Amino acid sequence: MSDGPLIVQSDKTLLLEVDHEQARAARAAIAPFAELERSPEHIHTYRLTPLGLWNARAAGHDAEQVVDVLLTFSRYAVPHALLVDVAETMDRYGRLRLDKDPAHGLVLTATDRAVFEEVLRSKRVAGMLGERLGPESVAVHASERGNLKQALLKLGWPAEDHAGYVDGEAHPIELDETGWSLRPYQKEAAESFWHGGSGVVVLPCGAGKTLVGAAAMSEAGATTLILVTNTVSARQWKHELVKRTSLTEDEIGEYSGSRKEVRPVTIATYQVLTTRRKGVYPHLELLDARDWGLIVYDEVHLLPAPIFRMTADLQARRRIGLTATLVREDGREGDVFSLIGPKRYDAPWKDIEQQGYIAPADCVEVRVTLPEGERIAYATAEPEERYRLASCTHEKTRITERLVAQHRGEPTLVIGQYLEQLDELAEHLDAPVIQGKTTVKERERLFEAFRTGEIDLLVVSKVANFSVDLPEAAVAIQVSGSFGSRQEEAQRLGRLLRPKADGTTARFYTVVSRDTVDADFAQNRQRFLAEQGYAYRIVDAADL
Amino acid sequence: MSTSSPRSLADQLRGWPDERLARLLAARPDLATPAPHDSSQLAARVVVRASVLRALDRLDVLELAVLQALVQGTEPHDLPAGKRAVDDALVTVTDLALAWGTPPRPVTAVAELLRLPDGPAEPDLDALPPAARAVVDTLVAEGADGRWGGRAGPTADLVAAGLLVRTDAQHVTMPWSVRLAAWAGTPLDRAPELATSARDQAMVDRAAAGAAFELVRRTELLLDLWGSHPPTALKAGGLGVRDLRSAATLLHLEPDEAALVIETAAAAGLLGTGMTDDLDAAWLPTDGFDAWQSHGVAERWLTLARAWLDGSRLVSAVGGRVADKPVNALSPDLERAWLRDLRHDVVATVASLPPGEVLAAGTGTASVVQRLRWHRPRRPASRWDQVEPLLAQAAQLGLTALGGVASYARDLDDGDPAAGLAPLLPRPVDHVLVQADLTAVAPGPLEHEVARRLAMVADVESRGGATVYRFDAGSVRRAFDAGWATAEVHDFLTEVSRTPVPQALSYLVDDVARRFGTVRAGHAESFLRSDDETALAELVHSPAAASLRLRRIAPTVVVSDVPLGTLLPRLRELGVAPVVEAVDGTVRVARPDVFRSRTPRHRAPVGLRTTARTSAVVAAVRAGDHAATTRRARTQAAVGPTEVIALLRECAESSDDAARVVIGYVGDDGTVGERVVRPRRVEGGRLTAYDERSEVERSFAIHRITAATRTS
Repeated sequence: MSDGPLIVQSDKTLLLEVDHEQARAARAAIAPFAELERSPEHIHTYRLTPLGLWNARAAGHDAEQVVDVLLTFSRYAVPHALLVDVAETMDRYGRLRLDKDPAHGLVLTATDRAVFEEVLRSKRVAGMLGERLGPESVAVHASERGNLKQALLKLGWPAEDHAGYVDGEAHPIELDETGWSLRPYQKEAAESFWHGGSGVVVLPCGAGKTLVGAAAMSEAGATTLILVTNTVSARQWKHELVKRTSLTEDEIGEYSGSRKEVRPVTIATYQVLTTRRKGVYPHLELLDARDWGLIVYDEVHLLPAPIFRMTADLQARRRIGLTATLVREDGREGDVFSLIGPKRYDAPWKDIEQQGYIAPADCVEVRVTLPEGERIAYATAEPEERYRLASCTHEKTRITERLVAQHRGEPTLVIGQYLEQLDELAEHLDAPVIQGKTTVKERERLFEAFRTGEIDLLVVSKVANFSVDLPEAAVAIQVSGSFGSRQEEAQRLGRLLRPKADGTTARFYTVVSRDTVDADFAQNRQRFLAEQGYAYRIVDAADL
Repeated sequence: MSTSSPRSLADQLRGWPDERLARLLAARPDLATPAPHDSSQLAARVVVRASVLRALDRLDVLELAVLQALVQGTEPHDLPAGKRAVDDALVTVTDLALAWGTPPRPVTAVAELLRLPDGPAEPDLDALPPAARAVVDTLVAEGADGRWGGRAGPTADLVAAGLLVRTDAQHVTMPWSVRLAAWAGTPLDRAPELATSARDQAMVDRAAAGAAFELVRRTELLLDLWGSHPPTALKAGGLGVRDLRSAATLLHLEPDEAALVIETAAAAGLLGTGMTDDLDAAWLPTDGFDAWQSHGVAERWLTLARAWLDGSRLVSAVGGRVADKPVNALSPDLERAWLRDLRHDVVATVASLPPGEVLAAGTGTASVVQRLRWHRPRRPASRWDQVEPLLAQAAQLGLTALGGVASYARDLDDGDPAAGLAPLLPRPVDHVLVQADLTAVAPGPLEHEVARRLAMVADVESRGGATVYRFDAGSVRRAFDAGWATAEVHDFLTEVSRTPVPQALSYLVDDVARRFGTVRAGHAESFLRSDDETALAELVHSPAAASLRLRRIAPTVVVSDVPLGTLLPRLRELGVAPVVEAVDGTVRVARPDVFRSRTPRHRAPVGLRTTARTSAVVAAVRAGDHAATTRRARTQAAVGPTEVIALLRECAESSDDAARVVIGYVGDDGTVGERVVRPRRVEGGRLTAYDERSEVERSFAIHRITAATRTS
């Protein structure tokens, strides 16, 4: 019996013992086909999923390799049924392929007649296919390329897309690496993407995904459409691109609620694209406004459903998705796989932290006890009121003041959900507040002041969750959030993870009311953070 | 073998040494029961047709050809096969007493069973058209007779040419000379090769051991559950589809795989039918299960593996349909006596590969079938369909993996498979790794006692070689409920965890402990409450109230397990004057109950009643009269069913609304009564008509109408 670091469970989870001498090799070997699910301190859990295995197939791994890796690193004998299942699942990928045919346009061919017949008879693909060209090939309506791939994935026979891409309108873009250089993993990510054609790059928060996007753009050397989550993020993309590439301000357009510029590189928000008036999407023509050579999807795990539908029609253009996690709260990972593309690059968070590219973080949950009067109010409140009551206790304001005082001098963010609470905090702490109502200009001014160190304390609402680059923030105090969403937690923590000049550990405080729903939600967050491998402590407010 | 030629078969048997006779009896066990008196009786049994048929079924292609040659009077050594192989085959058929004497000649029954027509001398098969040649090749390959449809075609051409001979109305057979010609060039002494590929034996062993471990673990998990939640045994025997499906979910298996686990447990005597407390028939673990559990994993596996190998149940049929009825696991009609032999043959065939060689993926199974077919050409072809499921089952059981036999499973009967398997299995561990995400991972099978205690404070999240436990408020509270103290939980965690217990977990335990028991619940039949604490104290401590079992649970509240009805009079005797509260907290005023009788029911005046009844009687009488009259003055009558329907239709459709019909109608009690009706409609086998007697429209079943007569 070997003494490998991996334990393969029959429910298709893989347990990796981190402290094992072969752990590093095993991690590298299983990373292409297994999804990292939890990475607490001793044992990391990976899961084998059909999507993960197909991702591996798309990256050129075959079932034989996967089985060998499992058998080689496994501590115990591997359940035979699992090996069979892995082989069968992987075998389903590539039985069907999409090709470009000079005579018939897009053609779906199969290497397996039985599978082909099954697919042809399925209701899901009805209307997407054209004339039958041979026993194992059929024409596909060019407009259905994306929908067909989506449908085939749902049928369990994902197709390999070899139909290629249009080059788009050429537009030279060069990286301008003066005073900085692309990190090795960023370079690898951009190259893996380019060779794969289309797909998703997974990098942890703070690892510099924007630069991977910029590198992909310089590879493409073509007009580019960048889709981002909000306006502030759009401005930041623009700022970064001007600073790090040969692009000038005039070449980059912003297409948002306030401005509608279409330029060789255009940055649009999801929101403006999905705005609906009288049942139509008036801004959809942006997608056809130019002959785009590359489309960049920022935060692909947040991609709204209408964008998926639009993306289905863009299959002939190269697409790169950037994200910190493939996990979607709505479970539409399959659509990301079939419409944006398979995962092309994935860097373990730990490795990047070890290389010093992102800062380590220390998470502390501070439990406060509601004062007697508020406890009664909470106990008799309507269920839908309870979370707000528990979140907005004055006790939290008091503790936050103490924490802020403790970290006086360090750049600190106070993050909350409820505006009245934020206003109260801002007043007590004598700090500026940024929330939905704050104008973009004012927001940018405050963020800039925070970046330069002019102010060291900001009270922010959830508008700052995404894609706001505040590299200097070292302390975050979270007083309330949206019901313990894992997504939000990752994003908020991400604000802290940019490496600090002095290499200190970031602090992430969450203030929680004991014995309330707030504490229940905190449990979700605690689990999430611990699963991500962050040190997590719980302290009583009294012990602070 | 005796040197001089024996005069008879009995003579030859008599001359055989003991071990050779033993070999015969072992090879043809049906000869030995009941024990024959002497060699002549044995010789008589040897040639019985049924026994000979069985013996023939055990021959391989070459042995059968050699015997056939003897029957046809051809020299066996002329067959396309090596001399040695033919000699060996001759020895085999003589050993089986299918042929005897020197030179060997077949016993009569063999000759009768195998005799083929001689056929044309030197048939020229090469000149045949391809279609006909294909027919010849197929028949030779299958060694069976062909079907005769009587239509023109290659078969008919072959029959016309004398290359095939019709044996009866539906079959054709291939004459001996044709067979010999078809064999030419294909050596009969070479069994078909197995399609193989190379695979490290160590990897095969590890994969197989993984399956073996899983089998034992799953069997244990399932039977443990069924010990407390037994599934119902169906009336027809077997296990319900729903129970099979939930077992499959529990075991993370497909239903057919779960069926194998269940069937194997039953075959090993670990599962049987019994009665639950409610006297329902159920599938329960046997007491053998307890004994089995006390063995090591490897021994436990061996019990299961042997049970499967010697079993003869058609597990692969579970979940399918036979004669349009679903086949349930554990159903009694899955026994197939021939399966035991086939299981042994299949495993032995795979085991015949040298270590490092395994069946090739894809083509391996088919080659096993070819090989087995060569060894047992006379077996019905349908049995070969079972080879594939049996190979899959062997893999699930951990006898084989990746297409090869595990080295520990090569000799299940005489070797020591358990000793070979044990080192490949996960070693039991006595510790877990506790992590900050509130999980604990046991990196191997936990020792029984540790596992039991850990299962008390945490829930199992994932099973397999390792076990993942998750702590949450509920699971920790369960430990407190079972009487653990806070310190005990902490100590247990520290003791069992190889790494420091994470702060978050200690905090969780303390947090649950803090809230545990803050609210107390209990039973009481009645309570007393009073703002006068002194009065309550006095009452509780009064010796006269001792029998009321009063217990003070708060300064102002006293409870008792005596019902209020008993409590109240005693309290009054003690000089307390309690006010009783109702369930909703309002004061209930005590007042003596006042008794009342029920008001008699109001009845209608006699006159009115009489009127109503009389009118009914009259109507009845009138109707009766009418029936009588019509009986006298029949104008139109129908008796047969067709006539009745025709008459009723006619009346219903006639414009005359008053067309009346007397019908004989069989009532619910079976008696025939006469009714006078006015038909309205006839449809759907029913007559809707106005009944003069009851003065309502009624519906009559036409098949109950015995006769109909029209009046007017």
